[in-house]
Amino acid sequence: MGRTVKALLVIAPIAAVVALIATRKPSPRRTHVVTVNRPLSEVPPRLRELADSVEITLSDAPGDRGTEISVRVPDGSPVSEGEVRRALRETRSLVEVGDVLLPSRPTTEKTLANRPLRKVTEHGREGGLL
Amino acid sequence: MKALQWQGVNKLAVGTVPDPELRNPGDIIVKVARTVTCGSDLHLIGGYIPFMEKGDVLGHEFLGEVVEVGPDVKRHRVGDRVVVSSFIACGSCWYCDQQLFSLCDNGNTNPAITETLWGQAPGGCFGYSHAMGGNAGSHAEFIRVPFADVGAFTVPDGVSDERALFASDSAATGWMGADLGGVKPGDVVAVWGAGAVGQMAARAAALLGADRVIVIDRLDNRLDQAAKYAGAETLNYERTDVAGELRERSGGRGPDVCIEAVGMEAHSPGAHFAYDQIKQQLRLQTDRPIAVREAIHACRKGGSVFVLGVYAGFVDKFPLGALMNKGLTVRGAQMHGQRYIPMLLERMAKDELVTEHLATHVMPLDQGPEGYRIFKEKDDNCVRAVFVP
Repeated sequence: MGRTVKALLVIAPIAAVVALIATRKPSPRRTHVVTVNRPLSEVPPRLRELADSVEITLSDAPGDRGTEISVRVPDGSPVSEGEVRRALRETRSLVEVGDVLLPSRPTTEKTLANRPLRKVTEHGREGGLL
Repeated sequence: MKALQWQGVNKLAVGTVPDPELRNPGDIIVKVARTVTCGSDLHLIGGYIPFMEKGDVLGHEFLGEVVEVGPDVKRHRVGDRVVVSSFIACGSCWYCDQQLFSLCDNGNTNPAITETLWGQAPGGCFGYSHAMGGNAGSHAEFIRVPFADVGAFTVPDGVSDERALFASDSAATGWMGADLGGVKPGDVVAVWGAGAVGQMAARAAALLGADRVIVIDRLDNRLDQAAKYAGAETLNYERTDVAGELRERSGGRGPDVCIEAVGMEAHSPGAHFAYDQIKQQLRLQTDRPIAVREAIHACRKGGSVFVLGVYAGFVDKFPLGALMNKGLTVRGAQMHGQRYIPMLLERMAKDELVTEHLATHVMPLDQGPEGYRIFKEKDDNCVRAVFVP
């Protein structure tokens, strides 16, 4: 198998994931929700940096699963969906662990082949489905 | 420091990378004493899990000495000899509370890829691509271990490095397959794959009281190990009608629990191997699920199939009809090491679980690329290549 074909076989799936992530359009007025493994009484008001621009609701999760934190981004809010996802994930970690895990120091180098992957991982906590 | 790095599809090299540093207060830095190849690394090396960058450090199964401790670490001190779970878990989220540590909500710094692919993101893993957090791996002189109070375990004095090393992943993975597969006293258990994980699954099934344990592979040296160290019966699928043998050895019922320890690059002598291989190479499916199909067909009605082999995405010709109509329970997981490692170390100390025979090739880290070649091609009866940095 030629090197070009091999390279394409590696790059194509990454590009497909990048395209999937990039083209996934959240529905308007979508509510983002995480469940935090602490009772409502133990969940302090976080998300301070976004609090003025989004609507935040805290409620008990069923089955002793903790607390559901819901964030709705109103029309016209300057806050992006990605910022909400990152803030929710970091809030969950701060409440549960008291810390947010930082990535390892990189050992990699930038190449043409890994450019699409880096595009995704530069904002790892902002993407996804949350 | 020196490290074994992925340089591209089927290209490895030992290079120099920055020393790891404490980044969170719960981190420790471990000086790696032993680190071992894993069959699942081959999926990364071969480009089947396409989320690697040039320069990524491989390795997720390791043991070493604590050389630096973050301010919040309570269970470890400098000088401790520790074995570390390959999956990174916070110990505080709902999944960790349920002992499902590889599903940790807070252990993956990059959840976007897997959440998009699979709906939700599992936790992070050492040296296992940017989909699993992009954490530097253990094939290096030093490694940073986050959430060290949760994922690093002090090795008892009576357990050697050579033995304890495999508690990090292989033994924990194998034990999980037997445990969560629901093995009970009196069961007939079939295990596909006689590599380290398959052998550990077979040994776990025997220790959990299975009446018969049958291991399936094509490599006689591995089957011999399964017979000798796990007390298993063996079937060489290149010379045997596996389905017929399993039916015969289980009173016509089929095995109660079927454990798949093969993964996405399965082999088979039949035409369906060529079919799966071509589809995988053309990326029309991401994985070759040959062993999973066989396990589902062989399993008794109402039985349990546990998938331990690593799969990335989508497969073709999945026998959903057999699964549904036979009332099977199919389950899988990346390994919940934190749940099993303390118990495994105790069993290792009592000689109930031995692993040294798995390390058929021990070599300096400098020989890492050659070690992976030997391991991949199964040269010289290689079961696992262990690197000493």
